[in-house]
Amino acid sequence: MTTPTKSHQDTSASLPHDSSLTHVTGQSEYVDDRTMLPGELFVGCFYSKVAHAEIKKLDVSKASQVAGVACIVTAKDVHHNAWGPIFQDQPIIADKVTWFAGEVLAVVGASSPESLREALNAISVEYKPLPSVMNITDAIAKKSFIGSERFIRRGNADQALTSAPNRLSGKLVIQGADHFYLENQGAVAYPKEQGQMEVHSSTQHPTETQHTVAHALGVNFSDVVCVVKRLGGGFGGKESQASPIAAYAALVAAKARRPARIVLTKDDDMIMTGKRNPFEIHYEVGFDGKGKILALRSRLYSDGGAYADLSTAIMERAMLHSDNAYYIPHVEVIGQVCKLNYHPHTAFRGFGGPKGVAAIEGVIEDIARELKMDALDIRKANVYRAGWDVTHYGQTVENNMLPLLFDELEVSADYRHRRQEITAHNEKALKATNCFSEDVQYIRGLSMTAVKFGISFTTRFLNQGNALVNIHRDGSVQVSTGAVEMGQGVNTRIGMLVAEELGLSMDKIRVMSTSTEKNANTSPTAASTGTDINGAAAWIAARRLKERLASLALQLSHTWNDAWPSKTAGLGTAPEIDIKKIPYDEALAKTTFENNEVRVTGSNFKIAFADLVVEAYLNRTSLGEYGFHKTENLGFDKLKGQGQAFHYFTQGTAVSEVEINRLTGEIKVRRVDILMDLGRPINEGLDLGQVTGAFVQGMGWVTTENLVYNKEGLLLSHSPSTYKIPSVQDTPRIFNVKLAHNNDNVVNIRGTKAVGEPPLLLSLSVWTAVKDAIRYASEIDKSIMDFNRQHSLTIPATAERTLRHLSPALFARFESVKE
Amino acid sequence: MSDKTSRHHVAFYLNGELTRVQGDDAFMMLAEWLRKRALRTGTKIVCAEGDCGACTILRAFEPTNSSKKPTFMSMNSCIATVAQMDGSHLVTVEGLEVNGELAPAQAAMRVCHGSQCGYCTPGFVMALSGALEVKTHLDRKTAANYTTGNLCRCTGYSPILDAAEKAKASETHNLSKRYLTNQNLQQLKKEIKLPVLLSDTQGRLFSAPMRLQDACKFCAKHKDTRMVAATTDLGVQTNKGRPLPKHLLSLQNIPELYEISTSKTSLVVGARASLSRLRKATEKRIPEFSKFLDLFASPQIKNVATLVGNLANASPIGDTIPFLLASDAVVHAAKFSAGKVIKRKIPITEFFLGYKKLSLKAGEFITAVEIPLTSQTTSIKLFKTSQRKDLDISAVSAALSIETSKSGDIKNAALAFGGIAATPVRIHKLETFLVGKPMTQKLLDRALDLLNDEIHPISDVRGTGAFRRVLVHQLFSKYIHEHFAMGGSA
Repeated sequence: MTTPTKSHQDTSASLPHDSSLTHVTGQSEYVDDRTMLPGELFVGCFYSKVAHAEIKKLDVSKASQVAGVACIVTAKDVHHNAWGPIFQDQPIIADKVTWFAGEVLAVVGASSPESLREALNAISVEYKPLPSVMNITDAIAKKSFIGSERFIRRGNADQALTSAPNRLSGKLVIQGADHFYLENQGAVAYPKEQGQMEVHSSTQHPTETQHTVAHALGVNFSDVVCVVKRLGGGFGGKESQASPIAAYAALVAAKARRPARIVLTKDDDMIMTGKRNPFEIHYEVGFDGKGKILALRSRLYSDGGAYADLSTAIMERAMLHSDNAYYIPHVEVIGQVCKLNYHPHTAFRGFGGPKGVAAIEGVIEDIARELKMDALDIRKANVYRAGWDVTHYGQTVENNMLPLLFDELEVSADYRHRRQEITAHNEKALKATNCFSEDVQYIRGLSMTAVKFGISFTTRFLNQGNALVNIHRDGSVQVSTGAVEMGQGVNTRIGMLVAEELGLSMDKIRVMSTSTEKNANTSPTAASTGTDINGAAAWIAARRLKERLASLALQLSHTWNDAWPSKTAGLGTAPEIDIKKIPYDEALAKTTFENNEVRVTGSNFKIAFADLVVEAYLNRTSLGEYGFHKTENLGFDKLKGQGQAFHYFTQGTAVSEVEINRLTGEIKVRRVDILMDLGRPINEGLDLGQVTGAFVQGMGWVTTENLVYNKEGLLLSHSPSTYKIPSVQDTPRIFNVKLAHNNDNVVNIRGTKAVGEPPLLLSLSVWTAVKDAIRYASEIDKSIMDFNRQHSLTIPATAERTLRHLSPALFARFESVKE
Repeated sequence: MSDKTSRHHVAFYLNGELTRVQGDDAFMMLAEWLRKRALRTGTKIVCAEGDCGACTILRAFEPTNSSKKPTFMSMNSCIATVAQMDGSHLVTVEGLEVNGELAPAQAAMRVCHGSQCGYCTPGFVMALSGALEVKTHLDRKTAANYTTGNLCRCTGYSPILDAAEKAKASETHNLSKRYLTNQNLQQLKKEIKLPVLLSDTQGRLFSAPMRLQDACKFCAKHKDTRMVAATTDLGVQTNKGRPLPKHLLSLQNIPELYEISTSKTSLVVGARASLSRLRKATEKRIPEFSKFLDLFASPQIKNVATLVGNLANASPIGDTIPFLLASDAVVHAAKFSAGKVIKRKIPITEFFLGYKKLSLKAGEFITAVEIPLTSQTTSIKLFKTSQRKDLDISAVSAALSIETSKSGDIKNAALAFGGIAATPVRIHKLETFLVGKPMTQKLLDRALDLLNDEIHPISDVRGTGAFRRVLVHQLFSKYIHEHFAMGGSA
């Protein structure tokens, strides 16, 4: 079957999210909104406060005496105490050794939150400290690594660097970020008969949660059902790390034979669960006098935290995105995940992409500074285009929109004119003798960056999905897939695809809870592929149902009404209609499914969809279908670093303008213009929401979100009072988002393109705009130039860091004062 | 106390239904109670510290001596106990629809894609609905100001602001009309005629007397009494594992403590006066302070939190304290002794003894703060810097006031900083140094050195010590340059 790229019905309308009504009325059900059953237990975790230690003694005896405590679970209660999305290297509950502060050592089930709290406080532990690795430099020195070094090479980077007229090198430090989904991690487990367990979890990966729970309990996968209604946000943070949380609830439920509910507090959630991987990128770039990049050598190290989790795959994506939108003839990218004593870092919207892209976009700003050029001209000189369209890993950039996206946004964002204004403003401000009066207190920066985000899991086998579509006898339809609804609107899009295929209005379509009972062996809803994979599977199922119904309709149109199944089936007075009598292609070609009706072309015959369904049932025609989809033509050899890594690329450009308070380093984003190529959107309103949301989320990562740990690696900024995600006041004052016109992404379902992650990478334009503003200051003051040549601006560019890059002398003066 | 002299329950209206709560339930955090007892799960708990707004509900309250009709205002339900809701009218997200018809904020959020994952949505809907109680429509700036206390991680806010612009106040959905009927108002007044004394199964007491004298007596009787204002800090501590104290005293039912009285020479702010009301009350007399309160905390916090609470909490970064220090405010305190109420006035500069240590005696508590309306107060300039502009705890804050004589010499200096020591402090040494001298660049340089010697900022989650020193240097320089028109933008 080929997927449709043209529709007969316009459903690209911005229909509201299919949960919007219950969202705004507070009726939407999340895990913790489930009514508590009699006897249901509250579950909480006791976790390590040290980086690395042998657990000499874990004493739960006092805790077990606390009134209301039903059971305490430790490592010895876990049947198969190892889990992990790639390598099973992580205990569900730590046994003899703890590898990070925040690692779970014991789990308590109690009949009230008060008893739970009291019991957790009554647990004591004796540690024998072991050597810890707390930064990447130390990890490199001690070869504390996870997985092996990976590389992607093209041409001869060494030689090209040596012969390049200009060179730059440096180290970019990129911090992690917390997902800060509003709904904290949680699960409710209901013990069932014969050792079965039903788990309702806030997970992006029901299948993995099912498997982890089964491992923990020592039961067959078939004895565990994982159900997900919806998530109050995931962003990657619930791709792998929701699984052990669900296991804690299940372990308590199984041991106490009572329903058990775990809902982490925001503090515990932030302390226990991993973040976006911190990275350190050592780069060397060679370029000519016009800004053409000739060669790039980049060595990426990531902080994987204490266990592998998804870090190796994240590193891979970072390496694959080290080119971003730019053709670089000679490339060497080497990546190595480091093992440190922090919570295991994990997926976060964009995966490794934002880190690879940050390095090259930052480098371009630095080249601009050195060549005294506008960074936009450097970007345009290097952008992928005809003849320059093969990536460093050997994949051709098909359907490339990048040159157009640069050109169109340059005009619509009024880039050149604003550049002149900003230059004039900054020169006036920077030439003043000081920055204390309002008119010279602020300087501005402007930057355009791009994204070329590869869509597909880089691990080929994950690119598969299945869907179950059932038509009921009133003509309404239930769709179930492996996709998890977490706000992105995947259910709405899948519903719209099915509605479009069957010619039904959306009120006839219900996209159901995700459950491993209906859809097994699913992939996580991640890598922006939720709609691509699951939507395609649902479409395949809907298409098969349509084929049968089309055949039936066509035959009914020739059948005397009195011989229809509805008139004959009960008494058996006529033979059944043979659905297979007409080739399906012919049946589809001769029928139209539209407006809840089915028409036969070239005749007056029409029948309500619901009536046709009844005829089909009475004619013993299957009204249920299971669709399976796998993404074709993928083939990336991870060991060689070459091949077709992605199905296609989602592309976009953004211009950000920032204003920096020279007194305090505070950053304000004045204006953002975004132009995205999302192919042919299924629902434009949902897509635009993904763009603004991802962008602002990324803005937080590159500006205010600052993770601070103590020396044991225990997170100190573990709540919104200290960890600052963007607020409504931070959203850009002017925020223009447009979609480019592109009907040619024929390789994907309905010509659409994935949107979940790519726009986040455009938020790097805020960071590069800060760099641009600092560049102006560098040009005026040599001490600032020197400092900035020696130090890349760390991500996030907090007020403190930004101020340090603007006033290095002032910091040097006070740095020496003892605290 | 017998049943005739006190009440062992609290009473409030919840979505138009008279509700009485007693015993353990009254000591629950309101959001927990709404979700677990009242089964209104639309109200979400995310941070449990009043920083995300997912638990936002609307509350209308006026003290019993007020003839004003109360207004619905947003508050965080996660950090207030049920007991504190006595005498209030509350509306949750479940109380917005009328006969199945969505309220304007709900309908607009729906069609503008203002909701993605939905978890923050009820909070935003409530904050916007509260705004539409007092405004007919909202522009983006106003809407942002009403939702500064609400975090969303999905939308990037711009669809929410689109929704806010689209929503128009509707008569049908006006909450005040629906829920603040004369009958409800009168009925509730009848319900709350007696002072409150609650107890739970752990032996805790919560007292909300109706006279200052009884409050003093309670304090005298229970030496470990913890005063409760808006519990914006105590509620957080409770949620984060520290059990509620044994003896809780709230002044919530003492009407006169809600007053903000202004005379020619001073402003006396009662212990129960909310920061929102204080902002209004200072709009004309101390506009700098009033404006500063816009950046301070979220609407949800300001609608309940008090100046006295901020003062009594004595945080090193308490945002209003540098102002009180620089204005030479006076703390009014009361205690019960020898059969009567003893009142005392304490100069603010003598009030802080150390980190979270106050010069209050056993059984003594703050009843008001008096802000002198001198030229020193009205010339104060306020500064606050943090990683995020709005609703972020300061790295450094400052309240600076310098007056000069006709000759140009500095006559008077009041220089207070927060975030640079264990408590906010006046830098007396610097003040003395400056007085009597004319401002010059040379004097400023010496003053900056002296200031640097006098402060002792630490490195913490909000910044390094060096960053704080740089900020103090920058803010003070800016103030002096602007105040003395020293130029610079040549």
